[in-house]
Amino acid sequence: MSSKITTSSTAEYFAKNLQQVGFSSPLKAVLTTLKEAVDNSLDACEDEGIAPEITVQIKKVGKGSSKSADLIVVTVEDNGPGLDETLLPKVFGEYLASSKFGRGQCSRGQQGIGISAATTWAQLTNAQGVKVISKTKKMRKAIEAIIDVNIKGNKGVIKNRKSVDWDKPHGLKAEFRIDGRVQLNGDGGILTYLEGTTLVNPHLTLNYKLLDHDWVNIGRVSEFVPQVPKPTLPHPHTMKLGEFMTHAHLFGKLTLKKFLTTGFSRISDATIKDFTKKGLKRAYLSQPLVKFNETDFKEVFRVIQDTDLANPTTRSVLVVGEESLSKSIQRLGDIDFFSVMTRKPKICDFKPVVVEVAIARFLNKSQDAESQGVQLLRFANRVPLQFDKASCAITKAVESVTWRSYGLAQSKNSLPQGPYVIAVSVTSPFIKFKNASKETIDASEELVEEIRRALMQAGQKLGRHIRRENKAADLERKIAYIAKFGPILVDGLARIAKAPKTRRNKAEEGLNKILGKDSKEAENELKQAEDRLTAQKAKQKEKFGDLSIDKDPAVQESKPAVKATTKKAVSKKTTSKVVKKASKKVVKKVAKKTAKKKATKKKVVKKKIAKKKTTKKVKKTILRKKK
Amino acid sequence: MALLKVRKSKINIPKEAQLMCDKMLKDLERSKRPVLTAVKCSLDNSLYNSRVGYLTPGDKRVKTELNVSSVQKLARTVFMLEVLLNNIDTGAVNTKRELYYMAKGLVKSEKELKPLDFEEQTESDAVIDYICDVLEVYREELNCFANDRGGQTYSKELIVTETLSDGTKATVELGSLGTSPFQPKNKPQALQLKAKKKIDFCLVVESEGTANTLVANGFTKRNKCIVMGAQGVPSNAVRGWCKTIQDQLKVPIYFFGDLDAYTLQNIYRTLKAGSAASLIRNSDFSAPQVRFLGVLPEDVKKYDLLCYDVTTKDASDARSLKKAKDALENDPFFKDKKNKKLASILHWLIKNKVRCEQQSLFSVNPKDPLTTEKIILEKIKRGSYV
Repeated sequence: MSSKITTSSTAEYFAKNLQQVGFSSPLKAVLTTLKEAVDNSLDACEDEGIAPEITVQIKKVGKGSSKSADLIVVTVEDNGPGLDETLLPKVFGEYLASSKFGRGQCSRGQQGIGISAATTWAQLTNAQGVKVISKTKKMRKAIEAIIDVNIKGNKGVIKNRKSVDWDKPHGLKAEFRIDGRVQLNGDGGILTYLEGTTLVNPHLTLNYKLLDHDWVNIGRVSEFVPQVPKPTLPHPHTMKLGEFMTHAHLFGKLTLKKFLTTGFSRISDATIKDFTKKGLKRAYLSQPLVKFNETDFKEVFRVIQDTDLANPTTRSVLVVGEESLSKSIQRLGDIDFFSVMTRKPKICDFKPVVVEVAIARFLNKSQDAESQGVQLLRFANRVPLQFDKASCAITKAVESVTWRSYGLAQSKNSLPQGPYVIAVSVTSPFIKFKNASKETIDASEELVEEIRRALMQAGQKLGRHIRRENKAADLERKIAYIAKFGPILVDGLARIAKAPKTRRNKAEEGLNKILGKDSKEAENELKQAEDRLTAQKAKQKEKFGDLSIDKDPAVQESKPAVKATTKKAVSKKTTSKVVKKASKKVVKKVAKKTAKKKATKKKVVKKKIAKKKTTKKVKKTILRKKK
Repeated sequence: MALLKVRKSKINIPKEAQLMCDKMLKDLERSKRPVLTAVKCSLDNSLYNSRVGYLTPGDKRVKTELNVSSVQKLARTVFMLEVLLNNIDTGAVNTKRELYYMAKGLVKSEKELKPLDFEEQTESDAVIDYICDVLEVYREELNCFANDRGGQTYSKELIVTETLSDGTKATVELGSLGTSPFQPKNKPQALQLKAKKKIDFCLVVESEGTANTLVANGFTKRNKCIVMGAQGVPSNAVRGWCKTIQDQLKVPIYFFGDLDAYTLQNIYRTLKAGSAASLIRNSDFSAPQVRFLGVLPEDVKKYDLLCYDVTTKDASDARSLKKAKDALENDPFFKDKKNKKLASILHWLIKNKVRCEQQSLFSVNPKDPLTTEKIILEKIKRGSYV
């Protein structure tokens, strides 16, 4: 029996289960390959503080080896730091070889599976791994090679290594020849992925050519390269007993107290006291970890779990930021207004999370778009999620919001309708995905509620735009009504009452007066709505600078008002600042003057005393001399 | 051509309309907003007094003041009023559907009227109903009639005399019609009734099919009675017809229908005490002496009748339960002490969460086609009704 049991390598497992990591169909294979390559490029650039410039090309070069698949070449080139020859097989050909595994950072890649899986897919469907050109700063010539996965041994293998000239100072180019099919639009489309990636990466310059289409260039809108915050120490409440024990073994001969205070976050000397109050034996604290047996660990672990600790720190989360999102959202297409919202980092399910929302309305969308669901872009750690939408925490949160109160059409418990894009980004060092292919975020109650709040805040801002539009339409309708129905009503009344023409004309005059008052009221309402909107815009302007993209003539007309209010606001602020500064200066000056006066007074007094003394002395000496 | 009257009303509609329009015009001349006031026809403005016997309007009024939002409604009201006044003047009669098309035709012929165009008949119907509420007149008094359904009546003893618009009289002996029913159309209050022999009772059956079955099996042959099919929620014709039978023949009237909240509130209550939507016309369109013969909760037990479960999972069932609760809380008819027994039926329905159809009586003895007739007669004899 035992002779039948064999051990498989990690690579073997994934080679047989590629569907688990996003290679379940030819369509998904192309998207996943592209996604993994772009994620790696972005992570590499950000690690070195380089503003990423990525070039993507997808070509259909023939028929694929399997039925109903094409032979697709996916090329991704970046200006990142490049990889040394020794690292190339590890990164592209070895599973679970990652610099970020379990570190608790908000990086895109986490486990080191994705890109190796793409190499495996290329190898399985086209008998050749990935073709790579890499150049680091130190290299004079770039390395060109093919990396294969040694599936039995879970190792990367370099083949056909060559030194080549490459006009780039540093960077990496990966070319995958794979079986696949290309879908450009729709939820799982390549274009949707690229649009999403540019949205949450304002510092990215992206050039792409898809199939026979022309080259497209999307320039960066921010020069700021976000630095992924350093990982923080693990929080003891996020660990299981086994993890706790493994973590302890890393600290070898250290005492328990030292281990707890240096190996975890949120444990201080005061917390250790709390542990002892909760029943932790004092003897344990000075005991080296190597002397602990399983029962001891269990007891320590139980006490830690029973003690209330401060929540994990939120310093490890990364935000795109409202300003960057505001600039970036304008790269999605012609939009007439938008609203962005970045929530403060929060602890959900004991993990730090930050939720960001951007909502924009497209211009020139077909009339059908009014009755269709909005375009929902979901992101986890700045990576677009494109499949299994229904069970995702983001979708559930969007559906739970009553969008009708913000002016959007919505059927009960479903996505709102209209030519809008709603982008929701969840960033956390520990995102709970539902599957290994990271397509859906687990919908825990706390996370859904946090996303819902962000959406509601963004919706309120959006609602002001829509309300202003509705008021404008209302005014237009009311003015039209006066012209339409007024004369008919008066004519009818005059006929039934058998009134003469003079009465009819007088009544019409009276009617116009009455309805004129109404339209003035509507105008006032519109003005109030506009004022509210301009106030919001002024705030936005103060916060981010001029990002105005409003093409609505009504809003453009109100622009001077925006300027005026901002100027006013700014001048108020500046005057108050000036006053404060001036008053401070005056106080200082006065203080100096008084100090000087005091000093001079003192000096004068001293001088006087000195003078007196000297005169006394002089007098004395004269007297002596006289004597 | 003089038309038959539904009631003895002193309202001179053309004159009232002219005064109303004149007042509106005067207000406009003075740059004052004209206001139209109508009775609020809703349950919260309904009063029930068992001595009166039907729902009457309370003090609440709906005021429509002229403003930019209401100018369309008022313009349409005046436009439709003119059409109706013209009908009254010429003696022409129309249905609501015809009036809808007439309005469309007028709009088509006069470009200036285009903004008034009705897209759906519901829009013109609402305007007609609004005119009735403002003038406090019946639709029929504006020469507007609906194609009322229901009210198919069978009797061997009943003779109906109708005075036609030209003054001639038409007499219909229902006994001579065989199995064909007599169906009163509009203004049944204007018919004269006579009984050949003393009529013992009138049976109003919710399902017209069941009424037909009873007659086909010889119910009217064996009993000196009137059998009428209500066909669901009673139309104006059915309501007016019941009232006429009650007032002229002075015979007991029994209603036989399903045991559920819908039947009790929407069908039986409307027949007996009128509806909240027609508060101004309930006095001529309700028969307060109608009794609820069943199906009663006691019948379910006595005859072991088949019932359906009412579950909150099913949308229509849930609505039905909610309706029963609402009726107990808000309907002045069921809140009145005199109707305690009817309210207790609603309580029973809420508690037991079942409904029982009138046809379930056919399950008692399927081999005997006369079982239902026997049960009905037995119930009347025993006084098993509310």
